[in-house]
Amino acid sequence: MASNILSIGSSALNAAQVGLSTTGHNIANASTPGYSRQVVVQSAAQAQNFGYGYIGQGTEIAAVTRVYSEILAKQAVNSQAVSAGIDIYSANLDSIENMLSDASAGLNPALNDFFASVQSLSANPNDTPTRQSMLSYAQSLVNRFHSASNRLNEVRDDVNTQLTSSVSLVNSYAKQIARLNDVIEKAINAAGNPPNDLMDQRDQLVMELSKQIKTTVVPQNQGSYNIFIGNGLPLVVGTVTNSLITTSSPTDAGRLEVAYQNKTKTTVLGGDSLPGGAIGGLLQFRSESLDIVQNQLGQIAVTLAETFNAQHVQGLDKNGNPGGSLFSIPDPAVSFSSYNTGNAVINSKIVDARAITSSDYRLQYDGTNYKITRLSDKTVQSFTSLPQTVDGLSFSQASGTMLAGDDFVVRPTQNAATSLGLLFNDASKLAVGGPVLSSSSNLANTGAATLGALTAGSTYASSPLAGAIGITYATGIPGTLTLAPSTQPVTVTSGGTTTTFPAGSPITYTSGATITVGGLSFAITGAPANGDQFTISPNTSNGSGDNRNGLLLAGLQSQGTLNNSKTSYSDALSQLVNNVGNKARELKVIGATEAKVLEQATAAIQSESGVNLDEEATNLLRYQQAYQAAGKMMQIASQLFDVLLQLGQ
Amino acid sequence: MRISTNTIYQSGISKISTLQAEQSKLQQQISTGRRIALPSDDPVASAQALEISHAQVVNLSFADSRQSAQIKLNTLESSLTNITNLLVSTQSALVGAGNGAYSDLDRSFIATELAGSLESLINLANTQDASGSFIYAGFKTDTKPFITNASGASYAGDSNQQFIQVDAQRLMAANASGDNVFQAGGNDVFTTLSNLVTLLNTPITNAATQTAFNTGLATAIGNLQGSVDNVLNVRAAIGSKLNELDALDTAGSDRALQYSKSLSDLQDLDYASALSDLAKQQTIMEAAQKSFVQTTQLSLFQFI
Repeated sequence: MASNILSIGSSALNAAQVGLSTTGHNIANASTPGYSRQVVVQSAAQAQNFGYGYIGQGTEIAAVTRVYSEILAKQAVNSQAVSAGIDIYSANLDSIENMLSDASAGLNPALNDFFASVQSLSANPNDTPTRQSMLSYAQSLVNRFHSASNRLNEVRDDVNTQLTSSVSLVNSYAKQIARLNDVIEKAINAAGNPPNDLMDQRDQLVMELSKQIKTTVVPQNQGSYNIFIGNGLPLVVGTVTNSLITTSSPTDAGRLEVAYQNKTKTTVLGGDSLPGGAIGGLLQFRSESLDIVQNQLGQIAVTLAETFNAQHVQGLDKNGNPGGSLFSIPDPAVSFSSYNTGNAVINSKIVDARAITSSDYRLQYDGTNYKITRLSDKTVQSFTSLPQTVDGLSFSQASGTMLAGDDFVVRPTQNAATSLGLLFNDASKLAVGGPVLSSSSNLANTGAATLGALTAGSTYASSPLAGAIGITYATGIPGTLTLAPSTQPVTVTSGGTTTTFPAGSPITYTSGATITVGGLSFAITGAPANGDQFTISPNTSNGSGDNRNGLLLAGLQSQGTLNNSKTSYSDALSQLVNNVGNKARELKVIGATEAKVLEQATAAIQSESGVNLDEEATNLLRYQQAYQAAGKMMQIASQLFDVLLQLGQ
Repeated sequence: MRISTNTIYQSGISKISTLQAEQSKLQQQISTGRRIALPSDDPVASAQALEISHAQVVNLSFADSRQSAQIKLNTLESSLTNITNLLVSTQSALVGAGNGAYSDLDRSFIATELAGSLESLINLANTQDASGSFIYAGFKTDTKPFITNASGASYAGDSNQQFIQVDAQRLMAANASGDNVFQAGGNDVFTTLSNLVTLLNTPITNAATQTAFNTGLATAIGNLQGSVDNVLNVRAAIGSKLNELDALDTAGSDRALQYSKSLSDLQDLDYASALSDLAKQQTIMEAAQKSFVQTTQLSLFQFI
């Protein structure tokens, strides 16, 4: 009997010891990340039947298990991926927002200053310092475009770096999880009990992995985890791992894409198949914000430069020469896919700066048709031949042979802001004067008619007047105007009706009607007398007070120019800044919500699995007392045995 | 609900750091005086603010243009005043010229005076502004517009008008070309004066020359009056433009004031509420810190 009591006491002592160890382990790991508290599963030992009943045989430890909820962990893993994705998107977008909205270094002030200087030039066309200062403002506008675009390129490089490090983390976690899978499976097979701490470590790795990429865990019966990333790509299966790699985009060597590599092949993954986590957030940031902001910036730069140039060449500079282009604008960047089999070289040019969009374009050839896709909204246009013009952009084949499956990407705006430049720095070349002059023979004319201001249309610069055109009025019913020389047809618009007169024929005179010839428009108003003469002539002098083109240049600021002449430069720029601001705001709001969700999921896990030191203190006391009680019991058993021994003395 | 020790610390820290972030934002707003530091702080207000500040800059650049126009018109105005004075004094000099008691010598004195006036007038017609541009030359502001010749002066400028954008919808001519001021409608004041000098220097020897003199003088006086009237017309037009510029300036500065006020409403910080928020935050912060310390001090281990 006594030996039975002793063994019961010893089992109790043993159990109390295990309890103390487990409690100590919990206390020691109270702040270990990913640690789940462990509990002792204790049960009564098999009782012994003595005929009159069962006598207990003490206690035994069934297991030491961790308190862990798979459902809560799954929630946290999902939430972690979403939250990490938004955080990294938001952090990257913040740097763009800071750059664009900076009151002193932003683009809006530079654009405003530039046009203020053009305005001031138009008021003081002959003032050399004013001319020089307008050029300086043009240069600083160009510099501002450069620095904004360079900053965006830096952000682009940062994205590449972050992608590379995220991908290497993913691969490293995958290997560690596979190794743990192996160890855990072996441990369970050998001892039948789960190795709690190793399992915690593996769960912690899954949690870390989900910060980098959306992760789904499928536990297997033998204790190992199968890990799927993104939209279901197997990363870890048992002890086998697949990996992610970063690889240059086939159409843009400077752009890293994430690719999935298994035993047989490598597949480039689009942003759509990798949602969530740092990788998803980065890809989303790049395609939804960075690309768009940089392209829009480029679009503003291109349209501003092209429209300014187009007006500038209409004018006459201080030396009496027709204006040249002020801004140099890079041609659209064309890249061909590294998978192309043909050797065709594609050229692209900006034909109409007002019509260009901020989108990139893809040109694909299927053997018969050329398919041009506007990538922003996936609008496809199909052609049977090149060259073609889409959205103000020309596509032509410069050389080589195009084969079926060949693929090109045209980026008209992405790097435009980086490559913008000024073509001259001689202030006398600013074409502030008008290209044509009008005069009435003030002294000789006897009638009261006046020749109004001349307007040169956009086509004038390409075919300017060769010499003066004299206009003579002859009385009659109706009165007529005769142009000499008259080599081009003349259109007369009056009260919304346009009449075209062939070259050489007299024109019916209507006071105030708009007369257009060779891209020039003017009006004669009043009652002319027979023989009155008016002249329009090319301006070849250096009319230093002539500011007509200057006024038109300054007027560009308030005109609709971008997006088919609908949006002004500054509106486009404001929209750009506001879009970034709105997105940043949205991300902050969603980010805060997701952070809250993650916090709650973590709190729920902690509530279930976390160590509470007060609870452990209670357990310590409990097991300490159990230990003391078991000891006392063994002491009593020993005393009982002594009683038996004394019987024999 | 079971609370783990980690959660107690975690939630304490995260509350405190949220409060710190809010305080730092308030602090930043108070030190800059602006409610919006980044567009994302208030996208709607910052979109409006961008538009308004653009309008403000444009408004300001029109004000600069108006100033240029004002300077040009004032220069013209003062030059035209001198020209009017000169022409009026020439007219009064002519009053005596028809006097029958005057001898050829007397008339030659007047002729000499008129020759001087002609020269002064040509000088005035070649007036340059502060930057050396000829103000009566049309577009050819680098070219001296009036060159003395046998019959007065010839015009080398052109008749173009230089317009200045003085407001969003208003182009204002800010020059007066020489041919319009001095040679309007074929009445050339230089020719008139030059003819007068010749006329007054021509001796009156008989009735025919007397008649020619009388006719010539009458024509010249009439022409001169026409020229004076024309100069006065030009001056009046310039005066009304200057008035208009004043009115535009007033409207422009009213707009500038409105823009600044709207911008301030959109962007500027309401100090009273910001400071009271800061005080509130500080109270909450102190409470959070105190309660955190007290909660974490409670441990069963202290009693074992």
